[in-house]
Amino acid sequence: MPPATSARTRARLLQAVSLLALLGAWEGVARAGWVDPLFVPAPSAVAGALGRIARGALAGLADTLLKTAVAYAMSVVGGVALGFVLGSVPVLRQVLHPFVVALYGMPKILVLPWIMLLLGFGTAPAIVYGTIHGLFPILVLVAGGVRDVDRTLISVARAFGATPWQLYWRVVLPAVVPTVLAGMRLGIVFCLLGVLVVEMFAGVRGMGHVLSSLANGFQAPELFAATALVSAASIAIVLALDALNERLSHWRR
Amino acid sequence: MRVLLGRLVVLVGALAAWEVGAGVANPLLYVPPSAVVPALVRLLSLQSYPELPESLLLTLREIVLAYALAIVAGLAVGAALGLNRLAGRAFGPIVAALYAVPAVVWYPSLMLFFGLDAASKVAFGFLLGFFPITLAVLAGIRQVNPQLIAVARAFGARPPVVFVKVMIPAMLFTLVGGLRTGLALAVVGVIVGEILGSKAGMGSLINHAYGLFRTPDYVALVCVTLVLIVGIDAIASVVERRAQRWSA
Repeated sequence: MPPATSARTRARLLQAVSLLALLGAWEGVARAGWVDPLFVPAPSAVAGALGRIARGALAGLADTLLKTAVAYAMSVVGGVALGFVLGSVPVLRQVLHPFVVALYGMPKILVLPWIMLLLGFGTAPAIVYGTIHGLFPILVLVAGGVRDVDRTLISVARAFGATPWQLYWRVVLPAVVPTVLAGMRLGIVFCLLGVLVVEMFAGVRGMGHVLSSLANGFQAPELFAATALVSAASIAIVLALDALNERLSHWRR
Repeated sequence: MRVLLGRLVVLVGALAAWEVGAGVANPLLYVPPSAVVPALVRLLSLQSYPELPESLLLTLREIVLAYALAIVAGLAVGAALGLNRLAGRAFGPIVAALYAVPAVVWYPSLMLFFGLDAASKVAFGFLLGFFPITLAVLAGIRQVNPQLIAVARAFGARPPVVFVKVMIPAMLFTLVGGLRTGLALAVVGVIVGEILGSKAGMGSLINHAYGLFRTPDYVALVCVTLVLIVGIDAIASVVERRAQRWSA
């Protein structure tokens, strides 16, 4: 076996062994009664709970992902558009820079109560809050990317008589595709986070609501199962975006 | 100079538009700046919320504790995964995958486990701060010139000594960036935790004001919390600049 393959196999083996050891130890500790099963249920109990909550949790997950998709679409469109404007107009960028940094950096949870007062309970505040979360990282990355587009490319295109439309469509846009993709990769987790926070804070539906009501009901096995489900879903989404990213960067070359 | 003037115009314009718009629409809901000032005075003179100093102190203590734990655990785990190639290959991707999960999904479990008191906020702030620090240590160790390590080893330095005396100075730039992100996230974690459910601290005061529809008090509390956050950030940026100047 070549050394690279064997190193990868050994790493995989270590992953599997330690995961099994962790689950085994956890199961043993829980069975032996060293921990309160009310707070730390055994993995087998969690697996059983997964079957019981599957229907409700999957419906909640679907609801959450739908809101996230809307919020994500809005933050990508808004973030890319505003990023292009701020990236191309130096005066605007310099004037607005401190405000953008302040809004990006401030913990958005502080305005959540106010959003709830304005928009009430339900889908709208979740989408708005998710959008606010996703918009800023995309906006900041895209603005930086547009600003840093190679000046030579632009001068050459201008010298060859490119119209402003051609300049954006043929030169700037292809040059910032990697930045936009990086922003999209970052934005999805932020959108999902925002939607989940609203659902936990004052949701009536969705995965965040499922999680917080399971916690309030002290249903630890069900809570752990639901947490595992939504974690797996978000990892799957990020991996899918990464794969798409890979595809697109191949196509660009 | 013109840029500064532009910023001032934007700021004053936004406040003025807010003031006028809120007056026309619904002053209770949109809280014009003129209503925030008296609320801020009442808050700072401890009339509206006499428990303000204790609450600020509690939130600050939670942040400090969460961040300290995140630094210790992040350095330890990062070093363990970075120094042992097999462990790094096996567990590095797992840490990176867990970082991709919106951390708030862990919060209900933490609340169940640690209750509504400070412990669950500390745990959540710790969890958020832990990942960027660990990943920065992992990335930093890869940047360290292997010759430095080889020389230190040849002179008989043991691995912990190599880590503290050779690797940390060599990767300081990356490490400080991770520590900075970790601090910001630990702050967010504590505040998110407090607002999602708490009995004391700034988040609980904010929820109280919001629940009773005392909107000017709510905005004043948010302003005070922001000052706390900006203050922490300012201290961090001074430390960051010092460290990076020293490493450069």
